[in-house]
Amino acid sequence: MALDRGAGHGTAARMVSALVPLLCGLVFAFVANIPISVTAGQVPPPLLALVPVYFWCLVRPDLMTPAAAFAIGLMEDVLSGGPPGVWTLSFVLTYVLVSRQRDSFASLSGLAAVLGFASAAAFCCATAWTIIAILDWRLPPVSPIVGELIMTVLFYAPVALLVGWLHHRLVGALRSDI
Amino acid sequence: MANAWKIARKSNTQLPLVIVVALAVVLVLLGKAQSNLFDQARVGVSDRLAPLLEVARAPVRGFDRWLGSIGDIFSVYEENLRLKEENARLRQWHNVAIVMQNRVDRYQSLLHAVPDPKLNAVLARVIGRSSRPFVRTLILDAGTRNHASPGEAVVDQRGMIGRIYLSGNRTSWVILLTDPNSRIPVTVAASKGGGSAVQAIMSGDNSSMPALDLVSRTAKLHPGDQVVSSGDGGLLPYGLPIGTVVAGDGGAWRVALLADAASSQDVEILNYSVPPEKLPPEAELPADAAGLRPLVPPPEQTQLPPSPQTGSVPGKSPAQQSPAQQSATMPPAAKPPAAQTPQVPAHADAASPQLAGAPPASPAPKLALRQPPPAPPDGGTE
Repeated sequence: MALDRGAGHGTAARMVSALVPLLCGLVFAFVANIPISVTAGQVPPPLLALVPVYFWCLVRPDLMTPAAAFAIGLMEDVLSGGPPGVWTLSFVLTYVLVSRQRDSFASLSGLAAVLGFASAAAFCCATAWTIIAILDWRLPPVSPIVGELIMTVLFYAPVALLVGWLHHRLVGALRSDI
Repeated sequence: MANAWKIARKSNTQLPLVIVVALAVVLVLLGKAQSNLFDQARVGVSDRLAPLLEVARAPVRGFDRWLGSIGDIFSVYEENLRLKEENARLRQWHNVAIVMQNRVDRYQSLLHAVPDPKLNAVLARVIGRSSRPFVRTLILDAGTRNHASPGEAVVDQRGMIGRIYLSGNRTSWVILLTDPNSRIPVTVAASKGGGSAVQAIMSGDNSSMPALDLVSRTAKLHPGDQVVSSGDGGLLPYGLPIGTVVAGDGGAWRVALLADAASSQDVEILNYSVPPEKLPPEAELPADAAGLRPLVPPPEQTQLPPSPQTGSVPGKSPAQQSPAQQSATMPPAAKPPAAQTPQVPAHADAASPQLAGAPPASPAPKLALRQPPPAPPDGGTE
């Protein structure tokens, strides 16, 4: 049952619902950066936090605001151990791209939807790679970021299903109120 | 369906977007200027996660072993034969190493060499691994309460893995040698031909074999040369085994690491610090110990209260002192040969615990007569 379906506490439900995309992104960033690897660190973890940013930027941009994308990117930066601000700026710029092309991305379905996310993830990873190249003034190796991109795209389908389920359970009914 | 997206569009989101992008750019620049911006947050998270990571470590390690054992099943017989042969060969080398170690100890005793510094080690377990595109780290279950601190070397039973770059109360983050941010001064020892050692900087680039940047452009390396830490900068001890030289692409040299950070479970944190050098007492300075006094009394002696032990002027640097005063504190190598005596400097005994209980070696005075006196305590240690 969606949170807003109960009569009488619509405001509180709205507040909780409004926080769901942000909390989901923060939790996914935390889960992706838990330093436990079943592959002994050979395979990079996926950018799980990018999925809620992409999903709610399309579905409910009023809940996934630029500030929320900034906060999720900041969480990714803090937990990943890399140079500060790299993922924050990458997430925000990806948010800008997706919000500018919202109609194009939102009209995709099936495999095309996966490819749409893959293009957004590729933009995010390319942005991060470029920032590192500028900061270090040398070209970083490409293979690790490509591995990250592949893992992120592979994980998109199951994570998007989970995010979609959360949306319908906790947020979805509020969309008509906009 | 498209109407649903249009519903959500709001024209007034442009301004926050610009502000947020600007903030993100500022954060990147701030992070470049101050790279330890998030360090406290990171170690705080890892400190709080440490119990959870230790619990989760066991099944993950079991899964790793199970995964690795799948491929090993088919090669266990060949692997066993190879290990037996290698074991027999290593036993021979073990005996050779013992003989050589004894010989080196004897030479060090005869030459009054300053012994290698003692290393304290903290045993730690790997409780986390992070392999992100721009940083590769391990998380250890030892922190400042275990006397682990940033800059210390982390080694396993095969060689060096990396250095600690963040220390929390209970956990430490290790930057691997393969990380793009890793730079280690190393010495490349020739594996054959008796060539001289070459100094280089080993840089990680996220590949499994870090690159070597030679300090000297004319130095020549060969595949198989041994790479050890050089000790330059005083952060790492000299001689930590790191790897062997291999030829890379385009004429570049790379290092095949001895340690495998992906499979290391228990590691040692080497607590190495160069003790601040203490000058010996004035009476034990080589010139004073030899009974030498300045030939000409310093002219300041009439104006200043004389120092009963030395001729140096308190509060003045050596450059400000008179030549006679400087000569009183000059090393014996700068003295005329006639002034040299076959006396062993006191600092040699003080600095070398091996010499304290050693019997007096008869050839030592003769050696001291024929050769220049030993270097002062800050001289070479090799």
